[in-house]
Amino acid sequence: MDIQNTQSQMRKGVLEFCILSIIRQGEVYPSDLVDRMKAANLHILEGTLYPLLTRLKNAGLLTYRWVESNSGPPRKYFVMTDLGLEFYGELERTWKELADAVHTLTQPVAEQPTTEENQHQP
Amino acid sequence: MKKVININFQGRVIPIEETAYDILKQYVESLRRFFANEEGRDEIINDIEGRIAELFGESLKKGETCITDETVNKIIASMGRPEDFEGEEANVKSQLGGEGNQQQYNNGYNAYANDPRGRLYRNDTDKLLGGVCSGIANYLRVDPTIVRLVFALMVFGAGTGIFLYILLWIILPSKPLVTNISSKRLYRNPDEKVIAGVASGISAYFDIAIWIPRLIFALPLVSGIASSIFRHSFWWDGDPFPGVVFGSFGGTLFVVYAILWAVIPEAKSASEKLEMRGEKVDLNTIKNTIQEDLEGFKSRAEKWGGEVNEKAQEWSKEFSSTVNEKGKQFTSEVNYAAKKTGGGIFKIIGFIFKAFFLFIAGIIAFALLVALLAFLVAGIGVFPLKNFFLEGFWQNFLAWTTLLLFLGVPVIGFTTWLIRRIMGVKSGNKSVGFTFAGMWVLGLISAGILAFMIAENFDARARDKQQLTITQPVSGKLIIKVPDSKVKVYGRWFKMDGLLSMTDDSLVLNNVRIHLVKSNDSLFHMDATKYSNGSDESSALHNIKEMNYGISQQDSTVWLDRGFSLQRGTKFRNQGVVVTIYIPIGKRILLDRTVQRRLNHFELNNGHNDWDSDEDWDNNFYGWDSDVEYKMTAGGLERTDKKQKSVEESNNDENNSNQEALDNYKKSKEELKKEYEKKQKEAEDLKKELEKPIDSTQYHYKKVTAIIAPAVTEDNTQLEDILDSHMLLMQMVL
Repeated sequence: MDIQNTQSQMRKGVLEFCILSIIRQGEVYPSDLVDRMKAANLHILEGTLYPLLTRLKNAGLLTYRWVESNSGPPRKYFVMTDLGLEFYGELERTWKELADAVHTLTQPVAEQPTTEENQHQP
Repeated sequence: MKKVININFQGRVIPIEETAYDILKQYVESLRRFFANEEGRDEIINDIEGRIAELFGESLKKGETCITDETVNKIIASMGRPEDFEGEEANVKSQLGGEGNQQQYNNGYNAYANDPRGRLYRNDTDKLLGGVCSGIANYLRVDPTIVRLVFALMVFGAGTGIFLYILLWIILPSKPLVTNISSKRLYRNPDEKVIAGVASGISAYFDIAIWIPRLIFALPLVSGIASSIFRHSFWWDGDPFPGVVFGSFGGTLFVVYAILWAVIPEAKSASEKLEMRGEKVDLNTIKNTIQEDLEGFKSRAEKWGGEVNEKAQEWSKEFSSTVNEKGKQFTSEVNYAAKKTGGGIFKIIGFIFKAFFLFIAGIIAFALLVALLAFLVAGIGVFPLKNFFLEGFWQNFLAWTTLLLFLGVPVIGFTTWLIRRIMGVKSGNKSVGFTFAGMWVLGLISAGILAFMIAENFDARARDKQQLTITQPVSGKLIIKVPDSKVKVYGRWFKMDGLLSMTDDSLVLNNVRIHLVKSNDSLFHMDATKYSNGSDESSALHNIKEMNYGISQQDSTVWLDRGFSLQRGTKFRNQGVVVTIYIPIGKRILLDRTVQRRLNHFELNNGHNDWDSDEDWDNNFYGWDSDVEYKMTAGGLERTDKKQKSVEESNNDENNSNQEALDNYKKSKEELKKEYEKKQKEAEDLKKELEKPIDSTQYHYKKVTAIIAPAVTEDNTQLEDILDSHMLLMQMVL
């Protein structure tokens, strides 16, 4: 098993959820999005972000508007649609469940040995 | 020291080092390749380019004079190269599609990682119809294309493929599978193609030189050319098409190519191209391929030329686009009715349409080539006769021009093109094509002038009647025979109606007709009418004088010369001889079998009466059979063998037979009158036709169209058969 591969699989699993949650908070420019994720220590390549945003936009979860820029071509700012909000709600619920499950399973639970002992006793 | 160029990038003018520009171009191209199959490819690329432009702007603002290699590399590193986001792609995709795909991804992952061979399933992820083929391919770990090909061949071969497929469709469970072949896949190679890149794809798959599969596919063409060259006389031996095109070998290869074209996918993206070559698809190699491609583009753009190539491409595009359009239209119309499997079926029907369009187009192109070759061979065949046709320097000159330019140039051009494509040579420029086209037009013009000049030489017509003296046969029966040839015949490689043979210095024509007529008195008479065309009256008469035709007599047998020869220097001007034999009433005549066998009618003018329209038609008799005894009666000639009894009766009862003969005579006169009217009409039509210039190519042309026509109809019936079978398949499926 390749450790790196597993790590990146884990990270990427929540990538979309993170992106959507950032956009949910308000209109955002992709490179700012990357910066914010970087600040949260979640690294993503811009080259991966653009296709992902395009796909989300094509799926109707996002929309964008053009904003003139003085340092280059007009910028695309992304906003969430109602459908996107709904979608995000679903993801959030799943994430919470998953986080709880993971949390429960990975915690060194104190009761567990006792149940095992209980099992041994009879 | 570096060269700086200005580029227009996303609407901004940006000064950039040339090397940096190359890196940037290559990077964008690699992205384009990576997202080749992505729906919003252009938008993604545009977004990334926009961001890069913004970063360029920032770095210029900071005070850099131009964009350097370093800047570009830094930006690329922050954006990420395709090889960096390869792994992320699959995941992101699978997550996007909701629950169904999620499941599919998990299943697929399991199947791929844990199951070494697994069970035989129908593949739900990669299917044309029911996923049977790709399921089998997955099980056997081979390219699904190959399994599909085997099935396609089975369907075309005996139809068993259909039933087997349906059976497997019913039996096998469906399951989404993940591709488990990491090795080569069979693709069509769009970079090196003659028609559709099938051959070059095969060569990449089997790792053989490209000309081998090409030669195999071109074999029917090559063998056709070879056979037509070696068998000069094939034109007269019957049509060459069934053997070459529909013959088991050639025909099969055409069909196979068309099937391969339809079934094998084209290697569009860089990763597909790598799969085609069997290189490991890691994204570094993609980079290499793109680099290669870019360099290839450069050199190709410079060397590109050769309008034939363009034509071939146009040709294939046109066909595929019409087929695609039709397929799509069809699909959208009936999609609701058969939503689940419909797409696959129509895809396949589209494939079949495509295959057969191409098949028919291929045959037509091939037939045109063969026809052209036939013209050339016929031209060469007639060429030794040119001295008998042509007068003066100009006509000879024109004849050579016609042969070389009008017929030779296309053949040479096509052969060169074919060899070049087979060997994969891609040089050549437009001017060569133009030169060839120009030469061909010159040839066409000279052919026209030549035809006109020759036609003028046939303008006038003359004839000369010559009385031949014969002694009356004692038995009252005249026998007509033709002796063996006195002229030694050199090699029989050339044969044509009316031309008996050629010797080195003279041409022997056996354009001799025999004409049986009732004699006005009680004696046999014979005369020979020689006729000829010429540019004017006197030259026609001169031509007649050059003809020698004689007869000799031995008791009651008359020997007719086998033909008349034209000495070198005399021209062929449609010379002919009509031997008229006058038979008195009550006398008999027998035309020996040799007469029919050895004397041929050269019916260039087809006319029955243009030389003797002034004679009394009622007495003419052309429809004689050889080796049959005829007797001249008041009503015309009668066979003696059929009416043996009546002849004997008539001997016994003179009066009765006279009465009968009179009745017969009246009857036959009426019939003959009708026939005469009919024939006169015919003759008028023919005269009209005769007024058109006599063009020897016309003769061949007729033959060519006659042969092409049945070939095409045969295709249509085949197509119908296939369609029928697929309608059946559809019904079963629905």
